[in-house]
Amino acid sequence: MREPLGRRIAKWVLATLIVVSTMLPLAWMIIAGFKGKNEVLRTPFQFFPDVWIWENYIQILGDAAFMQAMIITFIGAVLFTALSLTVNSFAAYAFARLDFRGKSLWWAYCITPMFVPGMAILLTSFVVVSNLGMLNTLAVLIIPGAASAAQMFFIRQFYLNTPVAIEEAALIDGASRWKIFWTIFLPQSQGPFVVVGVGSFLAFWNAYVWPILTIQDPQLQQIMQYLANFRSDRGNEWGLLMAGSALAALPTILLVLIFQRYIVNGVRLAGMK
Amino acid sequence: MHKRNSRLALTAVAVATASALLAGCSSGTAPTTADGKQKVIFWQQKFEDYQQAWFKKNVEAFNKSQDQVEVEYVVVPADTWDQKLKAAQAAGKAPDVKTTNYGNVKPMQANGQLADLTQLMDAEDFDDIKPNVKEFVTVDGGVYGYPLLVEPSTVLFYRTDLFEKAGIDAPPTSWDELIEDARKLTSGKVKGMNIAQTAPDLGWSSWGLQYNVAGDLPLRGDWSEASATDPAYKELAEFYQTLYTEKLMPQEATYGYADCSFFGEGSVAMSACGSWALGQLAGNPDWKNVNENFAVAPFPSYDGDPTRPTATLGGWTLTIDSKSKVAEGAAEFVDYLVADDPQRMVEFFAASGFSKYAARASVDEALAADEEASSNPYMKIISEQIVAHAKGEPAYPWDVSLAFATAIEKSMRGGDIDASLKEAQDAIAGVIEKQKLAGTAPGN
Amino acid sequence: MTMSPQLTTHGATQRIVLESGEPERKGRRRREKVKVARHLMDNRTAYLMIAPMVILLGIFVFWPLVYSFYLSTFEISFYTDPEFVGLQFYRYVLEDPKFWHAIWIGAQYAIYVVPIMLVIAFLIASFIRTVGIKLAGLLKTTVYIPTVVSAVVASIIFVFMYRSDGGIVNWLLSFVGLGPYAFLSNPDLALPAISVPGIWLAFGITTLIMLAGMYDIPESYYEAAQLEGANYFQRTFYITIPLMKNVLLYLLVTATIGALQQFELPLIMTGGGPTNATMTPNLFIFNTFKDPTPYATSFSLTAALILFFVLGTVSVLIFKLINSDKAIDG
Repeated sequence: MREPLGRRIAKWVLATLIVVSTMLPLAWMIIAGFKGKNEVLRTPFQFFPDVWIWENYIQILGDAAFMQAMIITFIGAVLFTALSLTVNSFAAYAFARLDFRGKSLWWAYCITPMFVPGMAILLTSFVVVSNLGMLNTLAVLIIPGAASAAQMFFIRQFYLNTPVAIEEAALIDGASRWKIFWTIFLPQSQGPFVVVGVGSFLAFWNAYVWPILTIQDPQLQQIMQYLANFRSDRGNEWGLLMAGSALAALPTILLVLIFQRYIVNGVRLAGMK
Repeated sequence: MHKRNSRLALTAVAVATASALLAGCSSGTAPTTADGKQKVIFWQQKFEDYQQAWFKKNVEAFNKSQDQVEVEYVVVPADTWDQKLKAAQAAGKAPDVKTTNYGNVKPMQANGQLADLTQLMDAEDFDDIKPNVKEFVTVDGGVYGYPLLVEPSTVLFYRTDLFEKAGIDAPPTSWDELIEDARKLTSGKVKGMNIAQTAPDLGWSSWGLQYNVAGDLPLRGDWSEASATDPAYKELAEFYQTLYTEKLMPQEATYGYADCSFFGEGSVAMSACGSWALGQLAGNPDWKNVNENFAVAPFPSYDGDPTRPTATLGGWTLTIDSKSKVAEGAAEFVDYLVADDPQRMVEFFAASGFSKYAARASVDEALAADEEASSNPYMKIISEQIVAHAKGEPAYPWDVSLAFATAIEKSMRGGDIDASLKEAQDAIAGVIEKQKLAGTAPGN
Repeated sequence: MTMSPQLTTHGATQRIVLESGEPERKGRRRREKVKVARHLMDNRTAYLMIAPMVILLGIFVFWPLVYSFYLSTFEISFYTDPEFVGLQFYRYVLEDPKFWHAIWIGAQYAIYVVPIMLVIAFLIASFIRTVGIKLAGLLKTTVYIPTVVSAVVASIIFVFMYRSDGGIVNWLLSFVGLGPYAFLSNPDLALPAISVPGIWLAFGITTLIMLAGMYDIPESYYEAAQLEGANYFQRTFYITIPLMKNVLLYLLVTATIGALQQFELPLIMTGGGPTNATMTPNLFIFNTFKDPTPYATSFSLTAALILFFVLGTVSVLIFKLINSDKAIDG
């Protein structure tokens, strides 16, 4: 039965409203990147610039420190994603499929960190990483946060919902649990891995507080650090700041666009029961 | 069963080693570079670019000039400086040398964080320091920071062209006059005045005016009692309140107090800022118009008396960490950089556009002999009329200043002045109690 | 297959099952039965597989936590010997009006953000259910995009958007005749102002999760209700919400806990001001940490631990409150 036209139009209007208001801040930022300093904030307000200038974006892209920050953050994010996927999926599989002594104890152990606020351990974990000699290295950004109770929980949920049937055959053949994980579960895990992987990448890319405490070396400066510093130092170069922010947000937005299918469906996969 | 036992033992050993590692045993030997030199870590708080350039050049020169000490130069942004320093101290990795402002020297010394430089450097280095500046860094005969520069925190900058247009022929000499002038000068997009408006900025930029109106600070004497409710401070709060509520100043702190961009961009006709603003104004080519049409004057006294202080003498020193394992090497570096050849400092001040002032007598002499320096029009006014009367920064914890400043900010945003000052009074009393300040004032 | 009582010792049972080689028992314990046969091996595999996580969590979460508690009983100085003071700092923190003020600010922020965000997410999720696949996909992606923007970038954007001279918010308000406001300099407006980016950053993922919850509700329920003449509101209140109880509870708890820990937005947008109007608990802790005195170090450490308790209590409270009547199984 065809929906009445009025109703359909109303839905499109509402949808447009949602899209526009959600995207408005980002759109403004991107456009502001094309404005000269005196146009970014002017009265009377104008959304589009009188004069479109490319200089801001070009200048930022040409800034060695900016590009360095983008690149190093990207490298770190990839490594971090790989590490956290590994650590968390291993544990998730063990909890979902294996039975072992002390399981519920270890489960409690692995879940508790979800409830520990970062601020309570900020100083002391700093001392720990400092004593491990990790300060001012990429490792200090990658290793401490790799184990994530929330991610492990999510992947475990997926594995719990995976029918036992797929491993039956392999088990009868005498395959080890490890082999089953490696050859059967992993290839099936695309969905949740993408979701969790994107989540890891995001968390790393957007990190700010931990990097400012632990990273001194300008070569290792993370992109959000760079932006915040830029704002403090050269705060009155508004056009440049907007262009830099837009470019800094770009990779994560692209990631979402590329993997949108997985992400929006991935939320379902876990099934909140 | 064998397996389990040995596995257990192994785990126990691993845990023990790990905890030892994690609880923090720092090495006891002095850090050295590959070729046996002492390694000194130097943190410079990020300032204007010319400062970074000067430091970089001189660090390299120092490293080249001898082969016992190598200095690693690190620039740390101002807004994360405190947390980073704290964290580094917690891990036992505090920098050997760091830039420290005068206000922090005495509190840090009280916590045992700074090394006594008189034990590490020659006596004549200290004789050269100007007496009023020396006071800022001396505790019980020991000197805990070597002064780099002084800069009065409050100078009145004003636009000579806008003054002419408004028919004002001289800078204001009292608070009432200033408000009057601000009213005349506020028109269209230009506001008459700019001054601090957020508690962190007010915390230190209003010290001079606190001295001015009440003769002393909200925590005085032996620090056993708070004096925030001194009736004189009511006038201070009213002054700030009038400027903000009558919209004679920008309503948002787009730029912090220390940044004179409002003035440089022409958005305000008058501005209170530190002397460093001279450097900022001269350095920005977009502000040519303003640069050619401004003058400086001491900030007016509340009652017009020009001998009352209106500014505190802020500035920066180099300090050495009391736990540094390369204190001698660090001292050599400090000596080379700031206590040695006066010409080095003259270069520094020249690069700053003479917006900062010398802390050493010998450097003053060298500057007097320098053509560029002696022809600078503002330098004379500032050193004779402002620096001469300026007071030192308080030695008490920042919490006290912040509590008082919060009262001023509340007043500015239209709050009740008496209530806000009373709140500050209570807050400061709390600080005195918790941080055990009574009787600990230096010089008591 | 029955098990004779004499053979119920662990090891013996395993061997028997292994030798018979026929995993036949149905039901819950089927998996276990096969595993039981390989008991020792699984222990090892399992331990190996959880080892990385256990070790990392141990070094970087549990140890620092224990160490924090230990340190909180000292007046910590890195230069003089730390002085053992027992629970003194706990007293100092709990007596400090600024601490409670920060908690109050955190609570207010949560009150601004959580209900509004949940309602918006619910409405949008409901709406997405009613549109065709293509449009649904577009909407789902669109609402998720702000989620991936960092707090730093969001702060920068909104600082500019809130400007009283040339900011877009004031421009939009001028159409309804509302005067320009200096949002972030106004103690009354600053906190509500930063709740907007707070909502903006979080509503996307919330919407998706709600949507997932909604999809799990069988269409048949709605059809039946419609046949009985139930309108939209009735259907929502009697079917959708009760059947999503677990999801809603989960979202409520995580959103509240997240909101109470908000920190980066006020850090970059207002620094906690004006006059501490946006001094959320974590920001208060972070700022206190800066001061060079040992008092400040111990204070901020202890305050962080106390906040930990507060957050834990809040989660438990919400959970108990809402969960007091167990809902229909979803």
